Order: sequence, then structure tokens, then C-alpha cells
Amino acid sequence: MPWTPAARRGGSISIMDLEVSIGRLTLPNPILVASGTFGYAKESAGFVDFSKLGGIVPKTVTWEPRIGNRTPRIVETASGMLNAIGLDNDGIDHFLRVHLPYLRKLPTSIIANVAGRTVEEYAALVTRLNGAEGVDAIELNLSCPNVSCGIDFAINPESTERVISLARRETDKPLLAKLTPNVTSVAPIAQAAAAGGADGLTLINTVVGTAIDWRRRRPILANRIGGLSGPAIKPIALRIVMETAAKVDLPIIGVGGIGSIDDVMEFLVAGATAVQIGTANFYDPGLATRLVDELPGALAAIEENSVRRIIGTLERN
Amino acid sequence: MISQAGDVAIQESGVVMENVRIARGTYRLRIDLPNIAARILPGQFVMVRIAGRTDPLLARPFALYDTVDEAGTPRAVDIVYLVMGRGTQALSALSGGETLELWGPLGNTFPPELTEDQGRHLLILAGGIGQTPFVALIKELLGLRRYGIHQETGAGRVVNRPRKITVGYGVRSAEFLAGVDDFRATGIDLHITTEDGSAGQRGFVTRVLDEASTTSDPPTAVFACGPEPMLGAVSTLASEKGIPCWVSLETKMACGYGVCFSCVCPVNDVASEQGWDFRRVCIEGPVFPAETISWPNM
Repeated sequence: MPWTPAARRGGSISIMDLEVSIGRLTLPNPILVASGTFGYAKESAGFVDFSKLGGIVPKTVTWEPRIGNRTPRIVETASGMLNAIGLDNDGIDHFLRVHLPYLRKLPTSIIANVAGRTVEEYAALVTRLNGAEGVDAIELNLSCPNVSCGIDFAINPESTERVISLARRETDKPLLAKLTPNVTSVAPIAQAAAAGGADGLTLINTVVGTAIDWRRRRPILANRIGGLSGPAIKPIALRIVMETAAKVDLPIIGVGGIGSIDDVMEFLVAGATAVQIGTANFYDPGLATRLVDELPGALAAIEENSVRRIIGTLERN
Repeated sequence: MISQAGDVAIQESGVVMENVRIARGTYRLRIDLPNIAARILPGQFVMVRIAGRTDPLLARPFALYDTVDEAGTPRAVDIVYLVMGRGTQALSALSGGETLELWGPLGNTFPPELTEDQGRHLLILAGGIGQTPFVALIKELLGLRRYGIHQETGAGRVVNRPRKITVGYGVRSAEFLAGVDDFRATGIDLHITTEDGSAGQRGFVTRVLDEASTTSDPPTAVFACGPEPMLGAVSTLASEKGIPCWVSLETKMACGYGVCFSCVCPVNDVASEQGWDFRRVCIEGPVFPAETISWPNM
């Protein structure tokens, strides 16, 4: 929508263009909720106005049901938390039968998130989702740090390209690759994802870490290690988004420690086309929809009228 | 999510009205919270976070201790907590006037409609800070107070009044006894146990179940809340004696409303490959029939 002088005179921030596109996936605004932090959406019904969200990424689905890790599965750390849930989920059949019928009725985009133990399993999951009504896009979780029997596909460019190109053959739906920060450099892996045919990148998954009870001389998490998330990792995520945006020509969804509208704006300016709210859903269940409400005001504060116009506008010092 | 009252959990900011020390390391926090106060039922819990801080980052779960009325309408929520770690340490420093961020009501409740057989003699066993759900529950079961009343229809949930309620309340030592007057004010029969013998009978609270079951009026149902080893022992004892038993579990939670999958406990499930599956304590509990829990996998 145009930014009219009348609107400017009236101080109105209602005429704002919040729409963004991740490849062929067009979203009404750039605020999404991250996989594994929003359950299957119905848990949040009392806190969130689904119609305001740019999109929902439900919890990772695997081919077979997974019982997940033993407890403790989480531990709080300084301005963050470590988790090692272990992809606890009831498998693809259950997702399609039980969760998707609820999700597809919601007035927002649904981006299913899947993880396989093998390249073939990823392809099979994508095939099942390709035929599913109500799945607007598919995010490949290539980087869950908590699955001991799985292979972390996104730690090298070859396996990343291979899994994405095989998934690509199975679907015309937009494909996103969610990558790990636990590598020396994300850029070559992001380039491999582009070569494999991904429509966009989700950056970043959690940062591997641990916490120790020194009196008992044991790691606190039953899984020994876990993924760090929350405000503590925001600088890492922001740096990776900035560097990847400069080197790879794919839309980026930024995720990592976002807890305020300032955080959202930082990611957009750094080069993210959209963002996902993750751990903040745990400690502030209504945050995601409030951020959508606050976005026009933040754009107005820098005299902009469109989200697209600020993406990747970071200047050099 | 839908609570048993049929109400959806909501997020609400609340101002601290008072934060009073009531026993060793134990405080009663009163929060001005009219919307949650009007909805919450005994046995349910709220998540509490000090607004605007990222360290500690996560909210902490607390059972409803009681609601407080103003002019006949629920106005405030009381929680009682024991200082255990950084979250409760931060709460203990509140002096009044601070803003807290809360969400609730969360979780299920102890069964309000015991059968006539089960309701002949309800034994409530509270271990340490696990006593917090029970004062409000006893008031509700005895008809002294109602909770979660629908504001337009005036309807509340149906409660079957047990013929008799006995409470066993066990702590490490007398200085940890909290809210004893609140229990006594309901008129129930209160048995205190301490591990060091400094108040009541020496020993664990499970002895109250052992001793009550040899009387002419043995317990016909058990509700328990406390540390996991205590709940395991109560569950075994109740099972041996053939007494139906429900336990309220305490686990670490990040979200409290079902999205983080961190608060799980093992529940028997014949449909699953290993015979049990993890269930979220926050939305499928915190109260479980004791026999449904896979205790060896705890």
C-alpha cells in the first residue's frame, strides 16, 4: 500500500506494507514462530492471535514416533537456556492425522518442519507433506543438536546439498533449510543449500553447549549437551545472518534470541527477510502477536513504510 | 489451552501486593491479578516471571495457594514458595509494587468428584512445599469457598464433599512448617510429621497413611503432592492397600503451557513400543492417577 502524505500528516501508522516474500512464499508480515517453541499451535490459543502471525512452524516431525530424551531436558543459563528435548514427537502419520487438521484451519501460513535420520527419510517426509493440504512450505531441520543417532547434515556442504536436492525433487512447495551455527563458517553450507534448490534459509538453530553440576560432577542435562537459545545467542545469530546475507542470494529467516521489536528490526536490517520468535514464546507467550502490532511503529520511527525496503540495508562503518 | 473450568489460560500482568515470610525460606506472595483469580481452580498453577528481566529468563511454575476476594469478587492470587534457586531467590527480594508477568490457569486438578466409596475418608499427604495446592482444595471440597465461578452464570464446578478429610503434612524440621493455621482453620484433622522429630511425629509423612489404614476408618482415597521419592512411596503404599491415589508432580518447566516439552514424565502406554511414553506434566498433569505413572522410568 502507498505511503500517502495524508497518512503522514495524520500521524497514522496504519498504512504500512508489512508483506514479505521468501521465494514463492508470500507472508502478510515477517513475524513467525519457530519450530519447537510453539508446539502444534493449539497450546497457544489463549495467548496468541493466530491471524496476526506471519506464519507458524510447528514442532519437528520425524518419520517414526520418537520418545525423546530423558529428563532433565532443559536448564536455564545466563539470559538463556539449554535444551535437549530429543525431537519428542509422534511421527508423520500422527502429525498428518491429528495436528495438521487443526493447523490448516488457522488463518496464517503453516511451514511444516521435518527431520530425517537419512537422506531418504527426509525425501520421504517431504513426499508425504507435499500431498498434504494446508502445508504452505517445508522447513528442513538439518541441524538438531540433540539427536544422538542422527547425522547432523548441515555440518558440511556436500550432505547439505544432497539432502536438499533430493527433497527438492519431491515437492514444488517452498523449501527452507534450517542451518546450524555449530560450524566454522555457515556461508559455504548456505551456498550448498542454494545449489540444492532451497528457497530460503532459516538461521540459526541452537548453539551447542552444556551446564555442569560441579558438586555432583555431572552434566545437568540427561543428554549431557544441549542447544543454547534465548537472548544469550542473539549476537551470534545476528552475525551469521549479516555474513550470510552478504554472500548468499537466498532469502533468510533470522532466528535466535529475539525478544523485542528492536531485535526484530536489527535482524531485518542485517539482511533477514523475516524472523522467527523462539525461546521468547516460553517466557512471554503473547510476545509474537505484540511484535506484529509494534512493527509499524518501528518502521515509522525511521520514516519507512515497508518492511521490504529495510531488509539488508545495513551500512558499512 | 482449556482448563477444567472451561477457561482458556491467559497472560496477565500483576502487581505485587505483599511478599511475607511465613516459614524458613518460605514466602507467601500476593499478586493483584483479577482475571486469573476469577478463573483458577485449586490444583492448577500459574507461571510467574519478573517483568523486564532476562536473567533469570524463564518463568517459574507455582500452584495456587488461594485466591483473595475484594467485595465478593476474586481479586488476588496467593502463591507460597520455598527459596530453592535463582528464580525463587529473585522472588524473595520483592517487597511490593513490582510488576510480574503471569500466565494461567494451567494444568488439571485433583478429581473434584470422588465417588461415594472414595469420598468416605480422603487422606491428603503433603511433603514439604508440596503442601501448597491443598488449603484451597480443602476449602472447595468442604464447601467453604468456591473457585472458578463463571462471571455471568454464577456456575462453578461440581464438587462431591468427602465425608472426612485427614491431612498428613511432613517437613524436614519444624521451622519449615508453613500455613499450619490455614489448614487448621478448615477444621480438618491435621497430622504433622518431621524428619528430626522437632514437631509432630518423627519420620516421613507416609507413616500417616500406614497408621490411618490400620484404624476402623481407613482412607478410601489419597491425594499427594511432594518430592518425587515421597510420591513414589505413597503410590506403592496406596497400591498395596488397594486405595485409589492421585499425585501432583513437580517438574522443571520452561513454558508451562505445553510448547517446550521439557516437563515430561513417563506414563504407562500400552500402545507405545516400550510400554510407556513421556507426557507433558503441564497440560496432561500436574495431577495423575498414581497407577498411570511408570515409576521405574521416573
